[in-house]
Amino acid sequence: MLEVYGEKFTNRLLLGSAQYPSPAILSESIKQSQSQIVTVSLRRESGGDLAGQAFWQIIQDLKLKVLPNTAGCYTVKEAVTTAHMAREVFNTDWIKLEVIGEEDTLQPNVFELVEAAKVLVEDGFKVFPYTTDDLIVADKLLQTGCEVLMPWGAPIGSGRGLNNPYALKTMRSHFPDTPLIVDAGIGVPSHAAQAMEMGFDAVLLNTAVAGAGDPVAMAKAFNLAIEAGLLAYEADPIDARDMAEPSTPMMGKAFLS
Amino acid sequence: MKIYLNGVETTVDHTKLEAVLIQLGYQEVTIATAINGDFVPLSLRKNTQINEGDKLEVLAPMQGG
Amino acid sequence: MSMKVNIVGAGVAGLSLAWQLVQQGVEVEMFERGARVGEKACSWFAGGMLAPWCEAENAEPVVLEYGKESLAWWQNALGESFVDAKGTLVFAQQRDKKELKRFARRTQAYEVVGHDVISSLEPDLASQYQEALFFKDEAHLDPRKALIRLTEVVQALGVKINFEQEVEPEDLLPEKVVDCRGYNAAKTVQSLRPVKGEMLLVKTNEISLSRPVRLLHPRIPLYVVPRDDQHFMIGATMIENGHGHQFSVRSMLELLGSAYALHPSFAEAEIIEMGVDLRPAFIDNLPRVERDNNIWRINGLYRHGYLLAPYMAKLAADSIISDTHEIEKLADFKIKEDRA
Repeated sequence: MLEVYGEKFTNRLLLGSAQYPSPAILSESIKQSQSQIVTVSLRRESGGDLAGQAFWQIIQDLKLKVLPNTAGCYTVKEAVTTAHMAREVFNTDWIKLEVIGEEDTLQPNVFELVEAAKVLVEDGFKVFPYTTDDLIVADKLLQTGCEVLMPWGAPIGSGRGLNNPYALKTMRSHFPDTPLIVDAGIGVPSHAAQAMEMGFDAVLLNTAVAGAGDPVAMAKAFNLAIEAGLLAYEADPIDARDMAEPSTPMMGKAFLS
Repeated sequence: MKIYLNGVETTVDHTKLEAVLIQLGYQEVTIATAINGDFVPLSLRKNTQINEGDKLEVLAPMQGG
Repeated sequence: MSMKVNIVGAGVAGLSLAWQLVQQGVEVEMFERGARVGEKACSWFAGGMLAPWCEAENAEPVVLEYGKESLAWWQNALGESFVDAKGTLVFAQQRDKKELKRFARRTQAYEVVGHDVISSLEPDLASQYQEALFFKDEAHLDPRKALIRLTEVVQALGVKINFEQEVEPEDLLPEKVVDCRGYNAAKTVQSLRPVKGEMLLVKTNEISLSRPVRLLHPRIPLYVVPRDDQHFMIGATMIENGHGHQFSVRSMLELLGSAYALHPSFAEAEIIEMGVDLRPAFIDNLPRVERDNNIWRINGLYRHGYLLAPYMAKLAADSIISDTHEIEKLADFKIKEDRA
């Protein structure tokens, strides 16, 4: 059971809602992923077209927990204002806090991130910070009152998988009791399974599903991989060895040469 | 009076945010508003003054990752 | 007694239907809010590509299945000289080479061509590209010439077109009415959403192209389509929360940057026109023909106006003439498949 901010979820895949070939495929992909938390965003809406309302209806019909993000924000002020607007629109105090530092890698600006987290926690938000695998930053975020951390696997949309497994493992063992969700950079289900095998609590991804040739099938594949990874972690995997170790018992083997 | 609605110069006839939103076609819809970069909650829209040249942002749910 | 049908909206959907109906002896009268052909039709800003195999990269399979028929339909309706059946070339820049492989994996009916073939097809691009995908069965037309020609054709066949007349389909009852207003029908077609598109028309003598060229791009499906008189159409953005009719700096940068990346000679091109409009789309991005008593609606053509309008016109015409309520729904095969 994934438990964040006092709420429990049986599924450990958080799925983004952007970039699908059509809203119908978005909806079906989310269903097939079995995801219970879906990320959403806010964008300008014109009075004439009201384009966002149709999208919101699709998401509401799925009856899932929504996690609004502050994607595209570069400063504390922008992120905090966006979070307030998201709280009103989506009627939730959950916020995926993204404060981006640089356009090529979309790397989090961790200084502004910690600052924004502090302001938002004081305002009563339940903050899900998108951060790096830096332990000191993680610690600062927890000190502000964040109860979950979302370290990156690799840059957003890159599909590279876990760029630095060592750092992620260290983070896991450094914060054994904090819910940790690997967010961004996932490309294929094995990347997600790897994160789960390392003991992460959940995985958040979007492009890997939305950009697949068949997003609906890929959503299902990720659900299976994450479940497999979790089972494997709970089953306590063996450690890797340098030398072979025969798996068939040697005792009682016939002597035939 | 001219304001900037989502970055576009727009003429409006009212001075209170709620009335401006109705005039601009945002009735019974899920949106959030900010004036000059500051969030204006739903409860304050009725009495929030909007002035010539103000930058009004109206945001709605959208796809996100 | 002959049948009379009113059509509201003289864009690609309305005109295709008018042609289809007059072929079968139906009397047609059209109502168009614009003062002239295309003035207020989003099909005026289209690329005009009849490219079902390329579109199938991320469209439902049915787009390929029915889109394939559009080439013959347009040749038949307009005359063969209005359609250029020269195929499509798809390129990727060196750093996006993986994109070309991905595109190839997700499409069919192409040839992987090298420098020699590129040289013979599009000599001006030969120095830039060593590899491309050639979809030889695809075609293109100039959507503006096509709309004007189709208007002339149907008028010659006796269709009366009332310009500058914005009417609601309900106003024309109890006669048969077909609503072909595109996104302008959104007030009555609740599930319609706008997908904004921006396009550019440029002119340059520095480069010549014979066929549509696609440049794979991580964010927008970019294409350059040659038009008469050394004009080139560069399209097209796909903005989901598409609002208004403003052309954004970001879109301009992306479109021009990509055209320049396709070939540096576009740097010197003259910008002739910037076009913006809203594509009407349903939840599955597939078009629909619906019937509500004596009102039929063709809508949701999305980015496939010229590709699918012929098929939708046939569906609607069949339903109107045979007075049936049973109209084929373009199935969303991809998502209906049993995945249990």
